[in-house]
Amino acid sequence: MPKSWDAIVVGSGMTGGWAAKELTEAGLNTLVLEAGRMVTTADYVEHVPPWQVRFRGLDDRRARAAEQPVQQECYACDEWSSKFFVNDHENPYTTPADKPFLFLRGRQVGGRSIMWGRQTYRWSDLDFEANLKDGIAVDWPIRYADIAPWYDHVERFVGVSGEKLGLPQLPDGQFLPPMELNCGETVVRDAVARHWPGERVLTIGRCAILTEDHDDRKACHYCGYCERGCITRSYFSSINATLPAARLTGKLTLRPHSVVHSLIYDHRRNRVTGVRVIDGETKHAIEFSARLVFLCASALESARILLNSATPEFPDGLANSSGELGHNLMDHIMGGGASGKIEAPADRMPVGRRPNGIYLPRFRNLPGRPKSPFLRGYAYQGGGDREGWGRGTDLPGFGADWKRALRDPGPWHFSFYGFGECLPRHENFVAIDKDTKDAWGVPALRIHCAYGDNEWALMQDASIAAAEMLAAAGARDISPFVEHNPPGKAIHEMGTARMGRDPKTSVLNAHNQAHDIPNLFVTDGACMTSSANQNPSITYMALTARACAYAVDLIKKREL
Amino acid sequence: MDRRTALRLLSAGAAVTAGTDLEAWGRGLHRGLGLGAPLRVLDEHQNATVVALCDAILPATDTPGAVAAQVNVFIDLLLADWYDAADRDRFLAGLAGLDGRARAAFGKDFVDGTPADRTNLLTALDDEAARWNANPAATRGPQPFYRQMKWLTLFGYYTSEIGAEQEQHYQIVPGRYVPCAPADTAITPE
Repeated sequence: MPKSWDAIVVGSGMTGGWAAKELTEAGLNTLVLEAGRMVTTADYVEHVPPWQVRFRGLDDRRARAAEQPVQQECYACDEWSSKFFVNDHENPYTTPADKPFLFLRGRQVGGRSIMWGRQTYRWSDLDFEANLKDGIAVDWPIRYADIAPWYDHVERFVGVSGEKLGLPQLPDGQFLPPMELNCGETVVRDAVARHWPGERVLTIGRCAILTEDHDDRKACHYCGYCERGCITRSYFSSINATLPAARLTGKLTLRPHSVVHSLIYDHRRNRVTGVRVIDGETKHAIEFSARLVFLCASALESARILLNSATPEFPDGLANSSGELGHNLMDHIMGGGASGKIEAPADRMPVGRRPNGIYLPRFRNLPGRPKSPFLRGYAYQGGGDREGWGRGTDLPGFGADWKRALRDPGPWHFSFYGFGECLPRHENFVAIDKDTKDAWGVPALRIHCAYGDNEWALMQDASIAAAEMLAAAGARDISPFVEHNPPGKAIHEMGTARMGRDPKTSVLNAHNQAHDIPNLFVTDGACMTSSANQNPSITYMALTARACAYAVDLIKKREL
Repeated sequence: MDRRTALRLLSAGAAVTAGTDLEAWGRGLHRGLGLGAPLRVLDEHQNATVVALCDAILPATDTPGAVAAQVNVFIDLLLADWYDAADRDRFLAGLAGLDGRARAAFGKDFVDGTPADRTNLLTALDDEAARWNANPAATRGPQPFYRQMKWLTLFGYYTSEIGAEQEQHYQIVPGRYVPCAPADTAITPE
């Protein structure tokens, strides 16, 4: 293997896959370094039924508790898909005792794009202008007009199904036909439209799942378990879409088992010149060099690499003259909502397992509306369905007639589940824990992160508003709830190398380029200046593609 | 362990070295497959009681029931490798408690009662479980053994190949999403 490349991309997941595709398609010989093992479609287990796994989906709880006590907090880390999550002993991190944080990770080719939730929502200027208007943190160096063409660009390739709504706070995109609401969900949609006309809209989730054949990928067949893989490549992941496209160029070299320790910096030229790697299998140290380095390792891992790359010129971490590297960590707060039984057609039920739910976009603190006693807002996911055999435990009776009764669908249920914006705060940060190293000897992170009053106020309001909407839809047995999830649980961590206009207060410029070092780009969630409340992956993808075009342009102009 | 893994192990000579207790190794493999497996926790009487409960809760009708689906074997697996020791012991004590109730009601162990004896006792236990369920969560104690057994029978049956495919018409690949299908369709929700 040659040791010098045009570009090195660290990470092969959501953004690494995009960097690989865009850079190779521009003609750059690109090395993608992935810390974990190779994953191919042969690893997919979405069609393995419960009776072919040992505990039928109850999971091997002893093994999970022993090896993945943190990872098992993610719903997708189950009897089928736990292999896509890290071993917590090999991948330690620490937190202060009073600030629990869930660091949920997938280290393999494809990263977390294999198990992601696939929800895909654009940001708007409501989000890009929020910090400036509220006087919070720093202003985004870009606006919607800067990123809109790149949303178009990535959505056309990803394949996003969704309904156009014409809402200013949630711009429409390049959509494939939407999935359909079932007839329980339309009952709630119609009630919401009647009671809050022009304010609240319930729609089907916009998701990166194909509703018709798209390029060489097939339409969804509704088996329902995307997080276990997808043999028809119907949902977007890097191994289903971007990495195969990059491979077609002949310019891609993908190296699994490549744990990046740190970056190599040449202070005379003020350039990163390469990457120090620990081979994941042999644990030997190797170096690779390149003209250009893209960090796409995830918000926390990219921050960790830069913090572990301190030099005499950058004693607090590479490209950290601002002192903001590792700071301003955010994760969406989630789990304020309500559920209840709804009145919907008793003679109707959905058939097939739709891997998508409803979406109710943000309606708080919109321009021209009354101000709420908190900043920003939240959106709901959720959905409606009928009870199945699981209701049998508390359905009185047993025997033949009871068994027959369980064949019929049970009551309709509906739930709203809120995802709220998390404000950027300097005191939510990560640093290197010098006393803790991972299985490859790389110093681990100590994570200091907690939600503040504004986040909890959002979830309280989300719970009350959800209960109101269920009541308006005629629901019974309404249960409002606010879950007390630690940060990290939404797996939308971001902000640790934020973009900004001023090198004194931000790590990256408007093109995800390090203010301090021109051939270093960070395009994963680390770059985010605020969090909005939308699921962030499509924004990371658009920013990655945009940064790649910028970097390629600089190379063509011989400015890099 | 799935069949493919087992076959791979069987064909991998390296796994069997001199001195290997071949019989024990084969038994272990068989256990992993769950095919006619010897039970690991339930003794003969306990197993007979579990089988009788499975049969009463989800009997054979126009489709096979929980006995044909070997729900007792699945419960034994959970008792051996899934439950904590305390929960396992609580379940076994629950089985003994059922015999206590049976002797008080009709003078014999549960499995030795007539079908009518068993049905009467289970009807009483089903009523007790419903009253437990109706209590506020804060004031009720641990769930009755019968309710746990009912859940285990349900789960073991509907996640078995028989329960999923023959009773429930479970489709691994539905191929479509019909948002408002007629509810009398053969496919029941999960």
